Amino acid sequence: MPNTRFRGLSPTSIHSAAAHQDSSSSPTLWTRRQWLGKTGCGVGVLALANMLLEENVLLGKEAFDASKLDPLLAKPSHFPAKAKHVIWIFVNGGPSQVDTWDYKPGLEKWNGKSIKEFDGGFENTTGFFKNSVGGLMQSPFKFSPQGECGKMVSEIFPNLGKHVDKMAFIHSGHTESNNHSPALFAMNTGMARMGFPCVGSWVTYGLGSESRNLPGFVVMSDPKGRGLPKGHAANWSSGFLPGVFQGTHLKPSGPAIDNLELPAGMTAASQRQQLDLLKQMNQTFLERQAAETELTARIESFELAYRMQVAAPEAFNIQLESAETLSLYGVDHPECDHFARQCLTARRLVERGVRFVQIYSGGMENQRSWDGHSDIKGNHAQFAGETDQPVAALLQDLAQRGLLDETLVIWCGEFGRLPVAQLSDKPGRDHNPHCFTAWLAGGGVKGGTSFGESDEVGFKAAVDKVHVNDLHATILHLLGMDHLKLTFRYNGRDFRLTDVAGKVLQPLLA
Amino acid sequence: MRIGKFVETLHLGLISALILLGISPWLGAQQDIEVPPEHAAQMKAGMELFRTRVEKILRDRCLECHGGSKLEGEFDLSSRETLLASGLLDLKDVAASHLLAVIRHESEPHMPKDGEKLSDEELNAIQKWLELGAAYSQPLVEMNAQTTVKPSVISDQERQFWAYRPLTPVAPPELDRFPASAQNWAQTPIDRFILQKLNDLKIRPNATTDRRRLIRRAYFDLLGIPPTPAEVDAFLADADPLAYEKLLDRLLQSPQYGERWARHWMDIARFAESHGYEQDYDRPTAYHYRDFLIRALNEDIPYNDFIRWQIAGDELEPHNPLAVMATGFLGGGAFPTQLTEAEFETSRYDELDDMVNTLGTSVLGLSIGCARCHSHKFDPIPVGDYYGLAANFSMAIRSEMELDLAPQQSAQWKAEYEQRLLAAENRVRDYEQNQLSGAIQRWLANWNPADSESLGPWRGGGVRRIDSSGGSKFVQQQDGSWFAEGNAPAKDVYTVVCQIPAGQWKSLRLECLADKRLPNRGPGRAGNGNFALGDIFIQLDRGNGDVQKRTFAKAVATHQQNGDTLSVAASIDQDSISGWAVDQGGIGKDQAAIFELATPLTLTETTDLQVVMVLNHSNPQHSPGRIRLSWSSLGDLPAAVGKEEVDAAVQTALANLKQQWNTDSADYTTAKAWVKTQLAEYRTLTEDVEKIRQQGPKTAKQKVLVTTEGLPHLPHHADDRGFPHFYPVTYELIRGDVHQRKGEAQPSYLRILMRNGKTEDYWKIEPPAGWTRTSFRRAGLANWITDVEDGAGNLAARVIVNRIWQHHFGKGLVDTSSDFGKQGDLPSHPELLEWLATDLVQNGWRLKRLHKLLMTSAVYMQASEADAVFDAPAQEVDIAWIKDRVGVDRENKFFWKFPVRRLEAEAVRDTMLSVSGNLDMTQFGPGTLDSNMKRRSVYFFIKRSQLIPMMVLFDWPEHQVGIGKRSVTTIAPQALALMNSAQARGYASGLARRLGDISDREKVTAAYKIAFGRSPLEHEIEIGERFIQEQSKMYQAQGNREANATAVVDFCQAVMSMNELIYVD
Repeated sequence: MPNTRFRGLSPTSIHSAAAHQDSSSSPTLWTRRQWLGKTGCGVGVLALANMLLEENVLLGKEAFDASKLDPLLAKPSHFPAKAKHVIWIFVNGGPSQVDTWDYKPGLEKWNGKSIKEFDGGFENTTGFFKNSVGGLMQSPFKFSPQGECGKMVSEIFPNLGKHVDKMAFIHSGHTESNNHSPALFAMNTGMARMGFPCVGSWVTYGLGSESRNLPGFVVMSDPKGRGLPKGHAANWSSGFLPGVFQGTHLKPSGPAIDNLELPAGMTAASQRQQLDLLKQMNQTFLERQAAETELTARIESFELAYRMQVAAPEAFNIQLESAETLSLYGVDHPECDHFARQCLTARRLVERGVRFVQIYSGGMENQRSWDGHSDIKGNHAQFAGETDQPVAALLQDLAQRGLLDETLVIWCGEFGRLPVAQLSDKPGRDHNPHCFTAWLAGGGVKGGTSFGESDEVGFKAAVDKVHVNDLHATILHLLGMDHLKLTFRYNGRDFRLTDVAGKVLQPLLA
Repeated sequence: MRIGKFVETLHLGLISALILLGISPWLGAQQDIEVPPEHAAQMKAGMELFRTRVEKILRDRCLECHGGSKLEGEFDLSSRETLLASGLLDLKDVAASHLLAVIRHESEPHMPKDGEKLSDEELNAIQKWLELGAAYSQPLVEMNAQTTVKPSVISDQERQFWAYRPLTPVAPPELDRFPASAQNWAQTPIDRFILQKLNDLKIRPNATTDRRRLIRRAYFDLLGIPPTPAEVDAFLADADPLAYEKLLDRLLQSPQYGERWARHWMDIARFAESHGYEQDYDRPTAYHYRDFLIRALNEDIPYNDFIRWQIAGDELEPHNPLAVMATGFLGGGAFPTQLTEAEFETSRYDELDDMVNTLGTSVLGLSIGCARCHSHKFDPIPVGDYYGLAANFSMAIRSEMELDLAPQQSAQWKAEYEQRLLAAENRVRDYEQNQLSGAIQRWLANWNPADSESLGPWRGGGVRRIDSSGGSKFVQQQDGSWFAEGNAPAKDVYTVVCQIPAGQWKSLRLECLADKRLPNRGPGRAGNGNFALGDIFIQLDRGNGDVQKRTFAKAVATHQQNGDTLSVAASIDQDSISGWAVDQGGIGKDQAAIFELATPLTLTETTDLQVVMVLNHSNPQHSPGRIRLSWSSLGDLPAAVGKEEVDAAVQTALANLKQQWNTDSADYTTAKAWVKTQLAEYRTLTEDVEKIRQQGPKTAKQKVLVTTEGLPHLPHHADDRGFPHFYPVTYELIRGDVHQRKGEAQPSYLRILMRNGKTEDYWKIEPPAGWTRTSFRRAGLANWITDVEDGAGNLAARVIVNRIWQHHFGKGLVDTSSDFGKQGDLPSHPELLEWLATDLVQNGWRLKRLHKLLMTSAVYMQASEADAVFDAPAQEVDIAWIKDRVGVDRENKFFWKFPVRRLEAEAVRDTMLSVSGNLDMTQFGPGTLDSNMKRRSVYFFIKRSQLIPMMVLFDWPEHQVGIGKRSVTTIAPQALALMNSAQARGYASGLARRLGDISDREKVTAAYKIAFGRSPLEHEIEIGERFIQEQSKMYQAQGNREANATAVVDFCQAVMSMNELIYVD
């Protein structure tokens, strides 16, 4: 056996080491300290990182990785990006494709007939409720051609219909699960299981954020007390990516972000004094550990936080908008006030450099979201009514501000709905993983196009099938990233948002 | 006969026949490939027939059960390959095939099983197609890209990869290889390995750091909280050369050690206390796994047992509660709570995957999960090994067990109970021997035999029979009650026919008695044990159609479900549906109600009457199951249960005895038995005995979430959809798709970690005689994974020493601590890792010893500054050791300084609580979601959808998958929390209070000592003092009445926010 006898410590040797420490710092480190001394308060992490980067270059050291200091620092994309920001209108609960954007005259022909006649592969367990499968059911809504492209649009979207020339439709989407939370996970993370990073996390991991005072990835959920999407916070989780990339969920009521308000008894001036004190008191340790860039980053993080206290409430304060803008979105309109505020907030965030914003329309399930198991007509009319004007206004507003070119707007839920009736007092529609419709608009998207087709009744994706992985690959592509190259090493494997699949949908690109 | 059985017999028959002929069955199979000359033309015709006719028949009538969504009878016709492999078909003699026989209904089982027989046209098409060679134009189940299955043999070259090699003893480098100053530096063998690399690179390590920092390091590393100023002072003053070792020994014995290190393992084990997914239901008994970790680490359970218990503690040590609690590990993962039929099986495979994966990354540092879909691209883990591992968990489910968590305590409680019972019984016996006869005599003296009520108010009900409108059959019981047999009808009316003696009758008592034959022991017949008495009244048949109805005016009961529609008063109101019910506390117990007439019923002779009970509540079957009636001439009687009618024999005995007192008479014996029940003192004594008996001994038994087999699974939303929770057979799947089964997977292990010619059987453990509840597959797995000689124990030892190293030195010797495979980093010091692993195993896998070994090394004790000087006179420093260490090894990969590290979320919060003086050290038990709790952070309840915000800010894991190394981020929201959150402000106030009533200057000094274990430098005191004074003035000017106090809190909050508090150097 090796010798493991421990030698005792001599107290003198310990102290002699300590005695040396203050008098013998290396000249290089002093240089930086002096440099730091020149910077006043209020220097941003960005500036700091650049400064350290410069210093290291000056000192001839190996390239200094500034992203280690601030993982949210904006990073270059793999290739020139068409879009810099994303606003994802998450049509929560699973919107019915045949009642929204996927016009199916064939369904009128088949109305009332058994779907098994149409497709022998249908099973009663395809949807969620196996004991209430009715016949094929035509849409209760009228469709009419809209825009120059003449897209047939359901009457529930009178405002959005005016923007079809900005939209690229995918009618052949399909996913893995017929159940909300696995399908939500699949749509958000590419995997139907819990625990993987979602799109917003991957995007901020890949590109960082352009906002220094706001979170890079922001999520808004239903503010009307109808709950969170199924699976809760896992839908904006960073999975195994560092926690800094997880979505910041704005609280639906009260202050949107925690800890922005001063503690009772403190004033802005007294906090400023306190932070100055903190900075001074941090000096002793900083000098001792001058090589640790993290320490400086943490000192700076208090300054950033101090600025965020002002910047974040400003970003969330939509009352700063003109009356005209407020009314364009439908603020104070009883039906859509809540969603109007969220869409407007999204625009304000994107304007301020936030990378990825997701807004959930609706809460949990059944009548609380687009999950129209009963009364599909009433359900979809209601939720379309809540969102039609605000989302249309968002597209118009972004366009008139020149932001639409660099902002990708996505309209998509976790799956589609079956073209058959779900038996109920008023017929509904059950979950359908085999077919859904999504649209993209804005940065890099070819407007007025439709890609892929569902079958005659809108049951299954039929032509040019698009898997969730393909949609994700396309989103990353529009943001200038190659989905094959955006990887993270975790437990011995290089993980991707698109796992082992995914192809970019070229026909949708402008 | 099922087809599966048939196949089995056929295969066995065929194989044994071939073996008898001396032909290998695999050679025999080759002969199928013989090609007839007309083959191509036939196949083409067959293909055409398949396309035009047969495919549709197979898809419509056969596929679903045979290769589509199911695989009945192991018969798979989804592809030509699987069809031919079924053994049900001989292409050379199609007409005689079993397959044809079953679809022509010439043999059992007739196919299709649940449908009409195929038409002759369809049968002929199939036969023709078979005769043409059974050509498929495409498999009927969509196959993904072909997987190339690696040859299942592990090559010698693959076995040579460093992580898989057997543990090899290594000798530490000789000291005399190094410069003299370095020789002096080295304290342990570890240091010699470290020196070797540094010597190669010509960079020097740091000298030992100062004692103040050393004690902080040790506290944070081992306990996760800072030392108190007194502890720091004591250590600094301890002149004993072994002071530091004594300190380590003390900390390793501290109960807080387990709380610190359990948390590290909880990360790896992806442990949380809720299901995740849709509803994220709590697992309220899951915390026992966390308590297991704390206890096991505190007790220094050998690491191999620590692992073995987590895999199979329920099998290996079923009587050791700690070992059984450990199995919470396997079931700790997230699991959907809402499942559709289409997801049942996939979800179970996902769950098996979670177990296999977590086991792989945590214990072996291997990502095994990739092999679910294809053989691992980088590491030698074939698909078969993956499913072999998964098969060990086939039957494992989450369940709850009652465990005695403190058997010694329980034994003590039992002894105390027995003593108490004995004492109470003795008191009864004493009373009977010494006082009873006197008391009886006194009772008789006061008794007036002429008074009819003197023996109690109630007289027997005189029930002759009970008629039921719903057909219930009643049987009289020994105690005078009547029991309704069989299932209750939805609604009922009981008509109780009684014969009542002459007299005045004022009250009717209805007792509804509990009975173990009733649901929930009754007293009702409804599924939950309840009843609802809609109406009750008396009918008197005077003859000649003169039926009088008498209703009751007043009612009381021992218990009623509510004061409203389910009260006893509601049984005598106008509403015949509302009425007396006894849920909410009364189920399983005897109940009584007393109904009182407004004016007494006066009978001049013995009379037949009927008591009618209407039982028509909208909840079905709400009728009482065992009833007894009694009558009284009194009113205002309290509701009580109990047979109180006195036998005639007793009455006679009492009368006789009153006339002539004789304790030797039979009358005395008879009378005594009754009288003693009337004596308050005696009753109290016997009730005491009964009470003690009923309470039973106190035990430390608690419900514990375990992973085991053969016990009821935790309830699940999809139970009513028929979710089976597990499938007894685990199949090897193609590309992880449950619809594409390759064959049954047998429990096995990773072959790359099976050495010296050993096969699975070597590790398998037979259950003890009589044990049938679990399969003991996991016991075998546990055996293999800790076997250093022939199994995976070599790798397990390397992985754990590396994890411990990582937590002491900021990064592992292998930086990818959960990935020791080909994709992972190579060890920076392979020999050191090997030496440490060997040392661990040779010394009984004790982790505490390992901690001490690491922490007494010079490499651990060295200073953390990048520019610290070497502790040796200049002339002793070898000039060959160059100085620019940052230039050579910027990342400190070779450990030339101690790393400066930020504390983890738990330690950050615990430190702040500790400094604030508010840390509550209560150990164990259920956790909480309350952000304001004062216990250590390891006691937060981990709810997957509701992670504690403060913890998340400081990089708490998401608790979805195992995390071997947390990320460390520095973000503004952390600062915001320290600046503005109620918690941070609370910590600051706590520290301010702790400082007491001293001068501002002294407060600054005291705060530094408490927070950092050091006195402030003079200029620090000045800065602090000036701040408090100026801040006070500012507050004063603002009219703040507690200006100074607020300023001190502001100061303390700044102290709490300093880097020095949460960075260990």
